[in-house]
Amino acid sequence: MSQMSLTTVQCQQSGAEKRLGLILLALLVVLLFCAPSLVNPGILFVIGLTLVQAVFALSWNLLFGFTGLASFGHAGFFAIGAYFTGAALRYDFHLPFLLVLVIAGLGGALVAWAIGVVALKRLTGIFLAVLTVALTEAMAKIIGFSPALGEQDGLGNIPRPVIDLGLFDLDLTHGDAYYRFLVVATVLIVAALWWVVHSRLGRTFRAIREDADRARFIGIDVARYRVISFMISGGTAALAGALSAPLTRIVTLDQVNWLASTQPILNSLLGGFTSFWGPIVGSVAFSTINYWTRSFPGLSEIMVGGILVVVILVAPTGILGLIGKLRRNFGRKGGRT
Amino acid sequence: MTSQAIFVLFNGMASGMAFFLVAAGLTWVFGILKILNLAHGAFFMLGAYISYSVGGASPASIWTFLGVALVAAAAVGVLGYLTDVLVLRRLRNVDYHYALIATFGLMLFCEGVAKAIWGTDYFAVMPPPQVDRAIVVGGAYISLYTLFVIGAGLALFAALEVIMQSTWAGKIMRAVSNDPWMAGTVGINVPLVLMLSVVASFVLAGLAGGLLVPNQALSPHVGASFVLYAFMAVVIGGLGSIRGTFLACILLGIVESANATFLSQYGGIAIYVLLALALVWKPNGLFPAQGAT
Repeated sequence: MSQMSLTTVQCQQSGAEKRLGLILLALLVVLLFCAPSLVNPGILFVIGLTLVQAVFALSWNLLFGFTGLASFGHAGFFAIGAYFTGAALRYDFHLPFLLVLVIAGLGGALVAWAIGVVALKRLTGIFLAVLTVALTEAMAKIIGFSPALGEQDGLGNIPRPVIDLGLFDLDLTHGDAYYRFLVVATVLIVAALWWVVHSRLGRTFRAIREDADRARFIGIDVARYRVISFMISGGTAALAGALSAPLTRIVTLDQVNWLASTQPILNSLLGGFTSFWGPIVGSVAFSTINYWTRSFPGLSEIMVGGILVVVILVAPTGILGLIGKLRRNFGRKGGRT
Repeated sequence: MTSQAIFVLFNGMASGMAFFLVAAGLTWVFGILKILNLAHGAFFMLGAYISYSVGGASPASIWTFLGVALVAAAAVGVLGYLTDVLVLRRLRNVDYHYALIATFGLMLFCEGVAKAIWGTDYFAVMPPPQVDRAIVVGGAYISLYTLFVIGAGLALFAALEVIMQSTWAGKIMRAVSNDPWMAGTVGINVPLVLMLSVVASFVLAGLAGGLLVPNQALSPHVGASFVLYAFMAVVIGGLGSIRGTFLACILLGIVESANATFLSQYGGIAIYVLLALALVWKPNGLFPAQGAT
């Protein structure tokens, strides 16, 4: 498709633009870090949720935008992380919190590996879509039968952790402190994903997305790299879930359904799946829309569904794609005069 | 034990035929458009709500019940035409990922519309009086409505088989499904066939909604819960194959029913195991159709 080749165009930015982008990014991070003293707790909570959704959307887009595989049950990975962290904190497993996060991420990656080895080699497209939806539904059923995981009521009253750093304790029991931890964790995860996408591994993924057959001809083990991409994506989604549990302090089955699986899809497409930053832009845009329309609960599905359809039909490359197109048109006009 | 087995068999057949009533339109439109319409269940749900609004909570007789179901089918068919013009027509030549995501969005949109019009409360519709009782078969109580659903599913399968295999309409449809470009060069009006297939698939969704509304409590989520089984049946059966879908529906129904009777503490798990096994064993379905990817 024509919009597929846009990624390469967008990568070729001039040095000055790159520096400007870095400065803006640093400013944004500082602003996010200072947010607890700038905005009220309600908005701070929304910003925290947006950070989690941004990581979640990035994990989905690594799979779709960079490897060309669509998972429609990504909420399953998110729930693995969220439920594991929730249970670890609630029942006090005597594990350091950072280790809990690592285990959650590895757990997500492990499940992704199992699915990948069994299914990904044979299944792409529609079969993979149905399988991922079905597996997530099956997981929701199993959680619904487990008394330890709160059955239909969800796992509530999750305490926020205290991190033991040897010399001193990092107390995250206060909401603001946990929020700051979340900002740092998000920045680290985003940096790691940025590195993955721009490394040799990321270029291999993109080669597979552009044309799996040609990738095979030049000696890329397509099945193996698809599984690797699935594992990184699943692990990151589980990490997003793990970070969300202490923030919201409750994990429910609402995080394991179709609607939850659509959220990263919507955010990625809204922001622009051809760009690395698209899912983040989409998450911010969507949270803003959601915050404004929060008093009309029946409208949320109409909004989400309607936006998805319109974005696909009108602007398949999302907000960043539109901006890029406008800028190119603008630049061309400027060049002529 | 035998009464339990009979119960499982009848209930399983009834669930299977209910799945088939939903899955038939889904597999038909996939066979021709190569688009898996994730919104199919949402239109099934709209059909159920429309028949509730038209026919009320307790239909007077089986004939009014069937009439109401036909009205719902026609209404959803009109919605199908609009959906085709506004959305599906633009998805015909794009990557299947976009089509999946767009129809996913359409599904959410329809659920939201149903919530806005009918609210989130549950409604119950009674089966028509002629089939609202139970008979005893080999020591097991079987509701007559169950038999009605089984009959409706078998009738639909027979009708689709006859239409697809032995009429000129079915032959044209199979030709378009196999090779739309070639069908166009021999003078078949391909866009018209595609449009009519989409409308037919939506009519089937509406009809299923009208016929199955007494089967369960009516809520905006009824489509999502039903259509998942339909997807599984379509995938196990082989995308686009009506026979494969029919067999897979029976299989799913009986496994689900046996699971609910013999392992009720883990109800609803067995079919996912079945799906996983079927996909690993036969990744392209029992009856792989041409062009399925």
